[in-house]
Amino acid sequence: MKKTLFSLAMVAILLLSACGGKTTGNNATNNSPVQITYMEWGDPAELSVWKAIVADFEAANPNIKVNVDVSDWDSYWTKLKTLLAANTPPDVFAMDAPLYLDYQSRGVLLNLQPYIDSNPGMLDGLFPNTLTAYQTPDGYFGLPRDFQTIVVFYNKDMFDKAGVPYPKSNWTYDDLRATALALTKDTSGDGKIDQFGYVIDPWDFEPGMSEIIWASGGDLINADHTKTLIGEPNARTAFQFLHDMMFVDHSIPDPNTSSQYGGDLFLSGNAAMIAMGHWAVPSYSEASFKWDVVQMPSGPAGQATSVNSAGFVVGKDSKNPDAAFAFIKFVLSTAGQTRLAEMGFACPVLRSVAESDAFLKQGTSINQQIFIDSLAFAHMKPVFKGYDEWSSTIGDGLTPMWNGEAELNPTLDQIVTQADVVLANNK
Amino acid sequence: MEYGLRPLGREKFWFWVMLIPTLIGLTFGALGSILATLGLSLTNWDLLRPPTWAGISNYLALFNNPAYFKALTNTFKFSAMYVPGVVIISLFVAVLMNRKIHGVSIFRTIYFLPAVTSAVATALVWNMIYGRDTGILNYLLNLLGQPSICWLCTKNALMSVVVVNIWGAIGEGMIIFLAGLTAIPREYYEAATIDGAGTFDQFFSITLPLVTPSIFFQTLISTINAFQAYDYIYMMTRQGQGDSSVPVVVFSIYRNAWNFFKYGGASAQAIELAVLVILLMGFYFWLERRYVVYE
Amino acid sequence: MTKTTQKILLDLVTYAFLTAGAVMMLAPFLWMVATSFKIPADQFTHTLIPNPATLDNFRKLFSFDLNFPRLFMNSAIISLLTVIGQLLTCAMAAFCFAVVKFRGRNLLFTLLLVTLMIPEQVTLIPNFIIFKWLHLVGTSVPLWLPAFWGGAFGTFLLRQYFLTIPRELVDAARVDGASLWQTFWRIYLPLGKPALAALAIFTFQGAWNDLLHPLVYMPTVPNTTLTVGLAFFQTQLTMGGRFTVLMAGALISILPLILVFFFAQKQFIEGISLSGLKR
Repeated sequence: MKKTLFSLAMVAILLLSACGGKTTGNNATNNSPVQITYMEWGDPAELSVWKAIVADFEAANPNIKVNVDVSDWDSYWTKLKTLLAANTPPDVFAMDAPLYLDYQSRGVLLNLQPYIDSNPGMLDGLFPNTLTAYQTPDGYFGLPRDFQTIVVFYNKDMFDKAGVPYPKSNWTYDDLRATALALTKDTSGDGKIDQFGYVIDPWDFEPGMSEIIWASGGDLINADHTKTLIGEPNARTAFQFLHDMMFVDHSIPDPNTSSQYGGDLFLSGNAAMIAMGHWAVPSYSEASFKWDVVQMPSGPAGQATSVNSAGFVVGKDSKNPDAAFAFIKFVLSTAGQTRLAEMGFACPVLRSVAESDAFLKQGTSINQQIFIDSLAFAHMKPVFKGYDEWSSTIGDGLTPMWNGEAELNPTLDQIVTQADVVLANNK
Repeated sequence: MEYGLRPLGREKFWFWVMLIPTLIGLTFGALGSILATLGLSLTNWDLLRPPTWAGISNYLALFNNPAYFKALTNTFKFSAMYVPGVVIISLFVAVLMNRKIHGVSIFRTIYFLPAVTSAVATALVWNMIYGRDTGILNYLLNLLGQPSICWLCTKNALMSVVVVNIWGAIGEGMIIFLAGLTAIPREYYEAATIDGAGTFDQFFSITLPLVTPSIFFQTLISTINAFQAYDYIYMMTRQGQGDSSVPVVVFSIYRNAWNFFKYGGASAQAIELAVLVILLMGFYFWLERRYVVYE
Repeated sequence: MTKTTQKILLDLVTYAFLTAGAVMMLAPFLWMVATSFKIPADQFTHTLIPNPATLDNFRKLFSFDLNFPRLFMNSAIISLLTVIGQLLTCAMAAFCFAVVKFRGRNLLFTLLLVTLMIPEQVTLIPNFIIFKWLHLVGTSVPLWLPAFWGGAFGTFLLRQYFLTIPRELVDAARVDGASLWQTFWRIYLPLGKPALAALAIFTFQGAWNDLLHPLVYMPTVPNTTLTVGLAFFQTQLTMGGRFTVLMAGALISILPLILVFFFAQKQFIEGISLSGLKR
């Protein structure tokens, strides 16, 4: 054992010296450029794009160096909160709009208003309804970076095979239901459905639920965020509609069914339509079938979809707020937004870029314009303090119902009560 | 009387050399973690603003929290199945492997594989095994003319995840027991053989009593692991936004601390969990006095 | 029944049980291997032989901008240092708890065990703040340094083992004038090999698979560990349904663990022989 320990130690020392100093802090010395850290969630493909944006930025601003720190979604929030708790936040970091006020109201974000004021016209070209989420009575503590509208993705091959016409931009929820039913099938002939008409996320409002609630004339929450509205009659009708599709038509898979297919039945070729955002485009472009997108259908109260954005915020005690803001400004410029559009995960917030070929002709053959056009009837995903806990309460509460273990109406009653308690506690 | 050497004269120096790293660790571990957690449990802390004093309100809140109570029940049910499962199966496997047979190192490696494989990948594979319509388990059941079972539905999920957790823990338990078995002097078996004791007699009169220190260790560690089990349960039963069909206490701690800005409340839950484990541990130590045989 | 037939019979039973168990232990793993060589369209099929078989998943994996050699090296250094630290400090402490009599021994040991009881989800931030005070955040030091100040798991494991080592050996050595340190170094360390090997395996595995700590303490890819690097695209692959690539990544990340295990397990060969030791 002595010998083993010794040789282990030698190996370790060798390894250490082989790549000594591999991790360096970011203490800038006097003559070196200002260093800022930009932290965000994402995946390897996004990291490459951000490296490209940073290279452009550094070329234009030789005195600033940006370290990009990307983690996957779950890891990102853990890391961010740890850094904030230890009072060492990154200079610039990404923010999911619904969670923005959870941070802003706790005073950890820098007010960007003075910087915006000294750059007049800076926000003029941005889509106005992507900006609303970041407005506070004291000004902007964050700015949108890109946005996501929800649309319906459909598998063209599946439609062709069943002889069903593609959905049209003016379709209704009744059309959706009929189409979904026509495409729900047992293709293997074992007595179990393995092709579903339509897929929604039964837990998060964003892809699938909030759209139909709004289209039915209902809403999720009242304007001052004190009352949950998903138990109101119009919202109930919307839930009943989805419930019928799941348990009467079986054209929407229940959670126990969909979990067998990993994450995404559309991509695995087991679903004809899915409510989804632009973030899925890169992975869907690797699918072996042809697909396209169409607007969300309209209901009794007209057409409705959801818009959400990822944004930038700056840590309140950032040592280099000027450099941080310069970086944000660059990403919101035509050059930065064009790069972002090319990466294909999200839609640019700068209108001129969203309407340019950089976004509309991304190498995929789908109709990118749909994502932009959907903004016209998009509702903002709610933004308020306590959003995470509130939406989790609702998501958890809906679970027994979607699992077929609880009735619709008592479930909604119970959820509203619990969610309102959460709202009161987060005031 | 407790056995022990007393360090003499200059040996005191060596004694401290040997103990000091652990004492430093305890200062960091005990003060840095336990006391900090204890202190934070008496505050409301959202991680972002300075903590504010909350007294014992976080503890009182646990009594009116049906979700927490449900999680605690699940944790106990889980542990009650998991701990005996791991201890008994891995002891059995280790005893078999301790016999002088060919190919044992291959067997050992195979049994250890589940313990090293990344939880994300294995959870995915198990999801494919358990799948209601697509899974291989129901496929086999159907071949035998049995109806399909929804393994991961709320009704059966606890049982199904216990199986996977035991499956993943046998390798580690086996190693503990293999190491423990090597400590039994060969002479004991030789003497017993000469006395004419059969294999089973030898197991109950020599192996079992002398492996009790390892059984004690494995039971205690398995209990701690059971109370903190997270990975497989999360990946196989997650639903909603971070909820699960088998929510255990660690879920509740994690979500309160990291999603709901309630680090104080999460700390209180962690302390209460720790107190429960410590009580259980006290019981184990009482059992140790009575039944564990040290040389 | 003669001794020989009884032995043959027992051997057969042993093989039967072990083989049956091995199938259950191995099946999910084989499936993982098979999936990593399948084309994406086949990822849910019930066959163990990929047809057609492909290396694309591994190619895809290495096409990510991740610098695998660097991640691998970081993981190896951290894991090795952790093993060294734990073996040394836990063995010393375990020897004190098992063999030396001192005041407060039980209290100290209990305190040590209590540190195991608090889930890391809540100790993460207090620990992080300590390392921030020490100006060590952003380096790999917080990942392996704690291994050098002992640990409840390892100390407990080794103490249990040391307690089973016959006391006659110690008494005999003391009579021969062996010091405390010599007793530890010449008797307990060599005899403790099986338990030390077990601890080495666990520690290496724990450090290698650790996700949370490298995540918060180290900068991101490529200056992080292999596990964090793989987790980085795991979410995308899971959500995107690319299980074939995910399995390929998982397979690569565990190969070093299997190697370490295969070599370390040789220590579990047979029991202590009392007569083989100098009295």
